[in-house]
Amino acid sequence: MAERPRQAKNRPMFVRPPPRQPKQTWLWLAPYAAIGIFALAMLIVTALLQWREQDTALSALEGDMHWAERTIEARLHAHQDFLTGLGREQEFRQLIYEAFQVKASRYVRDNPEIGAIIWVGTEGKVEWVAPNESTATFVGEQLTGIRMAALQEALRTRRPLFSPDYPGADQRPANDLILPVQRGSSDLGAFIAIQSLEGLLRVTLPASFTTRYSLSVVDAENREVFSNTSVRPTDRRISGSISLDLPSNRLGLNIVAYRGGGSWLPFVPAALIVFLTLLATATLLQLRRHARGRAETEEQLRAAYAFRQAMSQSLVTGLRAIDLEGRITFVNAAFCRMTGFAESELVGVAPPYPYWPPEEFEQLQYNIDTALAGNAPASGFEMRIMRKNGERFDVRLYFSPLIDAGGRQIGWMASMNDITEPRRARVELERAHERFVTVIDGLDTAVHVADVQSGEILFANRAFQNIFGFDSAGRDSALVTAACRPPPEALSRDPASLAPADLPCEIFDGEIQHALSGHWYHLHERAIRWVDGRTVRVQLAADITDRKHIDEVNLQQQKRLEQTSRLITMGEMASSLAHELNQPLSAIANYCAGCIKRMNAGNYHFDDLLSAMQKASDQAERAGKIIRRMRDMVKKSDPNREPIALAELLDEARAFADIEARRTSTQIVVNLPENLPKIIVDRIMIEQVLLNLVRNGIEAMHDTPVERRRLDISAHRIDARWLQVEIGDQGHGLPEEDIERIFAPFYTTKPEGMGIGLAICRSIIEFHQGRLWVEPRREGGTRFRFTVPIEEDEDE
Amino acid sequence: MSDPLQTIHVVDDDEAMRDSMTWLLEGEGYAVACYDSADSFLAARNERMHGCIVLDVRMPQTSGLELHEKLDALGSQLPVIFVTGHGDVPMAVSALQRGACDFIEKPFNNEDLLSRIRRALALDSQLSARRQRDSVIEHRLRLLTQREREVMELVVAGKLNKQVADELDISMKTVEAHRARVMEKMGVRTVAELVKAVMSVN
Repeated sequence: MAERPRQAKNRPMFVRPPPRQPKQTWLWLAPYAAIGIFALAMLIVTALLQWREQDTALSALEGDMHWAERTIEARLHAHQDFLTGLGREQEFRQLIYEAFQVKASRYVRDNPEIGAIIWVGTEGKVEWVAPNESTATFVGEQLTGIRMAALQEALRTRRPLFSPDYPGADQRPANDLILPVQRGSSDLGAFIAIQSLEGLLRVTLPASFTTRYSLSVVDAENREVFSNTSVRPTDRRISGSISLDLPSNRLGLNIVAYRGGGSWLPFVPAALIVFLTLLATATLLQLRRHARGRAETEEQLRAAYAFRQAMSQSLVTGLRAIDLEGRITFVNAAFCRMTGFAESELVGVAPPYPYWPPEEFEQLQYNIDTALAGNAPASGFEMRIMRKNGERFDVRLYFSPLIDAGGRQIGWMASMNDITEPRRARVELERAHERFVTVIDGLDTAVHVADVQSGEILFANRAFQNIFGFDSAGRDSALVTAACRPPPEALSRDPASLAPADLPCEIFDGEIQHALSGHWYHLHERAIRWVDGRTVRVQLAADITDRKHIDEVNLQQQKRLEQTSRLITMGEMASSLAHELNQPLSAIANYCAGCIKRMNAGNYHFDDLLSAMQKASDQAERAGKIIRRMRDMVKKSDPNREPIALAELLDEARAFADIEARRTSTQIVVNLPENLPKIIVDRIMIEQVLLNLVRNGIEAMHDTPVERRRLDISAHRIDARWLQVEIGDQGHGLPEEDIERIFAPFYTTKPEGMGIGLAICRSIIEFHQGRLWVEPRREGGTRFRFTVPIEEDEDE
Repeated sequence: MSDPLQTIHVVDDDEAMRDSMTWLLEGEGYAVACYDSADSFLAARNERMHGCIVLDVRMPQTSGLELHEKLDALGSQLPVIFVTGHGDVPMAVSALQRGACDFIEKPFNNEDLLSRIRRALALDSQLSARRQRDSVIEHRLRLLTQREREVMELVVAGKLNKQVADELDISMKTVEAHRARVMEKMGVRTVAELVKAVMSVN
């Protein structure tokens, strides 16, 4: 345990790799050159040795050759001398056959190359043969061919002669040594030694010679006569030839040395040298590759070291390594800069460190103990330390174990951040954010930000959460705001296809009703670039329900006012009509009542009564005039008819009726066939009829369950001139007896009704020569139908 | 049956109405005076008129209601029967609230009209009788001295003689003397009668 830290201390923690060496290519080529030169020298030496050996062999060959030449020549001369001796005795007639036989037989026995010695006459006839048992020839044989020619040549020249070779009795090459004998000037004959060339060579040359050399005898025409071996040496470099000087003939002897140990033997050293050279080169190459790999690794190591060094020096984060005992082993430039101490003042120091402020000793000691025990929190320590000049500042220190290449922990690495400024900035930021959130949350307007692509809600203020739920952040905006969302076709731009250059961009500005709560919102939607660069939709939704409600009330009031004023006009008309009529009617009543009184009382004058009755009659006439005048007046206001599409009228009527329908949750279903012809009507009047009938229907369904409140409007052409419109409700229906009464003026089933609506409707329709009637629906409720004329042009 | 002093004043712009009304009412034995406009009636009016006014609400220039207001302002006590056409009901109601006697809607049943006229004439008689009585009481009240009036007011307020004496800081005897004189001057015998008389004029 005590060993390890010391070891760790002694080990340099950060080994500086050797400085980079310049690349020397030629250095790498030198070994190759040396190997090449060595190999060349070796080859030369080998060649030289080879050459010398050959030279030696050649000179030995020459020596042997000369020795063989001399030996053969001596032998032949001995044979010639022996024949000369025999010849001399013959010349002087001292030789008898028996003596010849003895001498010659002995000689033949001693010299095995000689097959026989014979004596032939001048005509070439064999007369003597020694030894008798010789098979080479026999007495009385006549010499022929080249042998005869050689004999005659010898006799002519009177000199010993060596005949050309011929096939002997055993078919081996043989030749004759002919020694002519004269006496005086006359030829006596000749002694001939029949010798075998093979035998000659065998006898004269020892076995050691023939094993070393291959011999072949050639004649004067250089034709091979005989060879002592059938194996032809391939290498003819060590060879020589000698020529044997024989009387009147010439024989050549070719000698070729056999190569000892095979022909490839001389190449072994060279091959060995080449092989070794290649081996050495290969090894060198391998070595070089290895060295290059090493150099590369070294280069990478150096780069990595330089990188790390640069990193550690350029870091604004202070780095400090301590060993397992807490002794500082390394600090980077930033650490020195932060604390104000030089590297040399810190490295090697054990706690307490010089940058510990005295008042924090206890806390810092506790921290370092915790860290050394390996219990440093992942979030690091926040602590206050001291610069060399005594200034205090806040830092955050993170610990991580320092592991060496062997995987052993050799200490702790700590990174230190000056958090004085960040802390201040953070506090500032938090305050700013708080202000922002307070403002945004204080808004009545619901604000939310959603990613354009994913729909994820990135931000939502309190007002938004109040409407759409407090867990809305992070969810899909499309789902969260499904109840209150502009339809995609209502957007001015498709937000997903916006390029960054288009931002910010207005997407939607309008009013939307929340489908569930019924609240109205003014939505203002823009696409902007979010803080992290993506495109987002910012939506502001202001609750305008109250305003909307007020608007609606205003609209309704406006309409009521219009209607009231219309009613007032009508009322005034009716009232003035009533007043006008009242005058004559009252007067008539008065006259009549006065007459009746007087007649009852009996005290009357006939003239008075007559006058009163006359006046009453005048008043009745006056009443009639009034009525006629009224009718004339009504007739003057003929409807202003024009061709118009029913759908258009329905749309305008619905603009009013929809408010009522929405308030009562009534569904209005319009079902008009295509290509409905235009109708010829007074726009305002028919609109009034439609509005009246629709409202009637809606009001009739007051007690109908909400889900069944449905008003059906349909139309169809009944013939070439008429179009029929139907408005059916699901309301309380009408009792049979009311079916016609409802059109009577001042009849009403409604508490606040004036009882003139349907009457007017019927009047209007009748103005248009149409009909308005009502019938009960089989499924409950009533159905109003009316007919209106269609455009003449449509007539077929 | 009809008081000869009472006259029915018919104010209507319509000549036929005036004529037929006269025919009807004269048949009943009433005295009838007709005026074709509010202004002509105002011109003819005097304090001594008795009877009632049958007033058409709807007239050109000055309407019936305006005439009624003017008469009110002049202190006329004549009962007014409004004759209205259709739709003038709210107008008639407001007229009634301001003290009109009655109203009738055209076209009217003549019996209705006549019964209203009878009622109006009866009211007129009643009013003129009360007016006469009130003028007597008022005359008597004017005879009281300052001190007697003070005593009377306290007595009418229901105070005992002792309380009256305390309040006015005079003796019981003096109070009793004043009281007796008041009763005498006012021509009443009991305090209840005194109270009734005083209340009627106030």
